[in-house]
Order: sequence, then structure tokens, then C-alpha cells
Amino acid sequence: MSEPLEARNLVRLFGDERAVDGVDFQVRSGEIHAIVGLNGAGKTTLMRLLLGMVAPTSGKALIDGVNARSAPPDVWVRVGSLTETPFSYPELTVTENLQAAALLHGVKDVRARVARVIDEFELGHWTHRRARALSLGNQQRLGLAAALIHRPSILILDEPANALDPAGVVFIRDLMRAAAERDAAVMVSSHHLDQLARVADRISVLHRGRLIGTLDPHGTDLEQQFFDIVYRDDRERGLA
Amino acid sequence: MRRALGVELMKVRHSTVVVTTTVLIVVLVPLLCLGFVAVARAGGAGAVALKAQAMVVGEGWEAYLGLLAQVVSIGMFIGPGVVVAWAFGREFADRTFPSLFGLPVSRGSIAAAKFTVLACWGLALTILTLGVAVLVGLVAQVGSLTGIDLAGRLWRLLVAGFLTSMISLTIGFVASIGRGYLPAFGALILLTMITQIAVLFGTGGWFPYAAPGLFAIAGTADVAEVSAVQLLLVPVTTVLVAWATVRWWNHAEVV
Repeated sequence: MSEPLEARNLVRLFGDERAVDGVDFQVRSGEIHAIVGLNGAGKTTLMRLLLGMVAPTSGKALIDGVNARSAPPDVWVRVGSLTETPFSYPELTVTENLQAAALLHGVKDVRARVARVIDEFELGHWTHRRARALSLGNQQRLGLAAALIHRPSILILDEPANALDPAGVVFIRDLMRAAAERDAAVMVSSHHLDQLARVADRISVLHRGRLIGTLDPHGTDLEQQFFDIVYRDDRERGLA
Repeated sequence: MRRALGVELMKVRHSTVVVTTTVLIVVLVPLLCLGFVAVARAGGAGAVALKAQAMVVGEGWEAYLGLLAQVVSIGMFIGPGVVVAWAFGREFADRTFPSLFGLPVSRGSIAAAKFTVLACWGLALTILTLGVAVLVGLVAQVGSLTGIDLAGRLWRLLVAGFLTSMISLTIGFVASIGRGYLPAFGALILLTMITQIAVLFGTGGWFPYAAPGLFAIAGTADVAEVSAVQLLLVPVTTVLVAWATVRWWNHAEVV
């Protein structure tokens, strides 16, 4: 049986560059699996592959056991994602943006779900404000609310703590933990170790497109461990 | 598709680009025609007066509706063309295209919804513009309606205006493959120029971007009637390009 999210010997080339280079990776139900890496490590490309945004050069990117590029609507209805720019249309208000997200995610009772998510994400003060007038932090909060409005069982978040204040970072950690507790598979990427260590079940290190090791989420001095793994890999490849 | 239609309708209703274009076309087109007719009839030898005299043929409603046909044939391509460029290019310019992945509603359905909403808006815009044009003509007492087949002329303008706005939907393909507004604006200018050239060479009837405009002015000036087959090329071209655009949206990668 396949896991909700799975990469099998996944490769994606951009010209000569191996953005993702033979990655094997899974996220199980009820698990938060964090991917950490330096800028340009391939985190975003890996997430794009698993969301069907780009096609693999070779290998497989599977979502609920189905090729992500050709997954049917009944698979996507269970998926929530936040990658790069959050879902928001600047001319629409917070409420309208959430209504749009609810419609596109196949939510049946749009009005009730929007009201609930506004409450959960503490967006009540800005319901009638246009998205263009929101602070970056609140735009990110709106994007997260849009990604989670249908209570997905598979969650893919690329740098979700971007632009969030410390309270927002705590909020996103609670959010991911709550999703995992209701048996969702959560994949999250970040280059800030401390934001993830407190909540992840597994942490994998991605470097130059390859998974090169894991970190113990409960271990000490994660930064030191991370750089040891990265520098060792660079030395082994003759790049350090 | 119903869900995508709801979202696209919401975006169009709140868009500054759509509202501005609608107001500009509905208000400015009739006023521009009225102004040009007035300038032409006032005589004079200035540059504007001479240009107006060259464009205005006949008297009263004949002159007003003839000029309206000329302005509609250009205005209903450029105005809706700008809106189409915005509608199909915005997700690329705003970098929100990736947020349209991972949804049970396909990107192809979203593109098809954009076409549907914009086609309906094009029809509504044409009807509204012609309605306001008639009102402006009546209020300004352009002339006597005796001997003028107003209903027939308006029907011809309605068909021409709607078909022109319809062919402007093809700009959506350029905005998509060009991933933004600017390539689409370039295509809009280029197609306007090619249309003028096709008309000058007398082959406009077979060119889907020129045929509706020629149909609008056929009979009012020294212009041959446009055949039904030639007019049919407009929806056929639009549907083919729309199909290619929907296919592109379904298969495009995030770059």
C-alpha cells in the first residue's frame, strides 16, 4: 500500500542542473515530515513535483498512490497546499478570497466553512478588507486559511512561516500538529530549523537535490547537526 | 466548471480593469461618435474637422450610426482585448498560477470559465453600448428617424460588436503561453495593424479579425457585404483557439 505522499527515485532536471536528484521520500498519515535545506537545495521543486506542477524527468511523484501529474479530482479534493505566493486575489476581500478557495476546493457549505475558518485563523477583523491592503503576515495567514478551508488529509506547505510574527509561527505549529492529530499527512519545508524542530516527527535534509540525511527532532543543537551533514556531503562530492 | 464560473464571475465583478473598460466603452463610444458628427457638420478646415468629415458619411442618424459602426469595430476589439489579456495573464503576473494546482477543479476548467464569463461580458457590453448610443442619439436629437431602419442597423451592430469581442478572446492564448499581460498587449497591437492591412488589401472578409468590422459598415460605405461563411470563421477561430488555450492550461508546468 502506498503512502499519502511518496517520491520514488525522483529526478527533475532543468537543463544540466539536477534540481531533484534521485529522491526517495514518504509522508505517512498522521505524520509531520519536514524537509530542511539551504536556499536552492530543491525543496520547492520537490513540492512542485508532488503537487503535479512540474513533470518528473524520471522516477515517480505519487499522491495517494497516483501519479501527481494525472491525479483525478477525487484525489485533489483531499489535498491542501501553500507554495510560493499564497492564494489571494488582491481585488477581493478576505471573505471573498476564502469563498473562492472554498469553491475551488469543492467545499459544499461554503458560507458556514468560510465563517468557521475566519474564526479559526483569527481573520475576523479583516473580513471586509481587500487582500491588497493586508500586511504580508496577514496575507500569509489568508493563504494558510485558503489551503486548509476544506480540512485536507494531505497538507503540503512550503515555508509556511514566511512573514509571520512569533505568534504566527506558534499558530502554524499548532495548526500542523492539529492536522496530524486528525490523521493528515503533513509535508513542510523550511530553512529555519527552530520553527520545525518543535513539531516535526521526522526531519530530512535536502542538499543539492539529494536527501543526504535526517535530523532527530528531539535532538540538541540541530543547527550544528545540519551543517555537519551538509559539509560532509560537500566534502564527499569534492565541493568543499 | 460551475465552481470555476462562480470564482471567475466574482473576480470580474470586482476588477478595476473590467469596470473601467466597461465605463469607458459604454460612455465614450457614443459621445465620441456624437462629437465627431458635430465637428464634421460644423465645417471648418482644421485637421480634426477634415478627419471627421472624411469619416462621417451622410446626415443625422445615418451619419451617427455609420460612425458608431466604425468605432465599435475597433473599440470592441481593443477594450475587451485588454480585459482578456488581464484575465488570462494575471495569475502569471501576480505569481499565483501555482495556487491553481492541487485543486479538484482543473486549470482547464478555470480557463474555460474565464472564456465563458468574458464572452457573456462581451455580449452585455455590446448591448449596453448600443443602448446608450441610441439614448444619446435621441437626447442629442441627432436627426429624424424617418427612413432609417433603426432595428436592422442595431441588429447588424449587435452581431458585429459581439463577434468582435468574441475574436478578442483569442488574445487569452497569447497571454497564457506568454505568461503575462505584456505579450498579449503586443499581440493586440499587432493584430490591430494586420487587420488594417488585410482590409486595405481587400481580403478582410476572410480574416476573422476584420470580418465583423466589415459586416458592421457593409452597405453604409463603399464596402461589400460579408458572407455568412466569412462571419462563421469568427466563432470557429475563437472556439479553436479557446480549445488550444484550455489544453495549454491543463498541461502547463510552473516555471
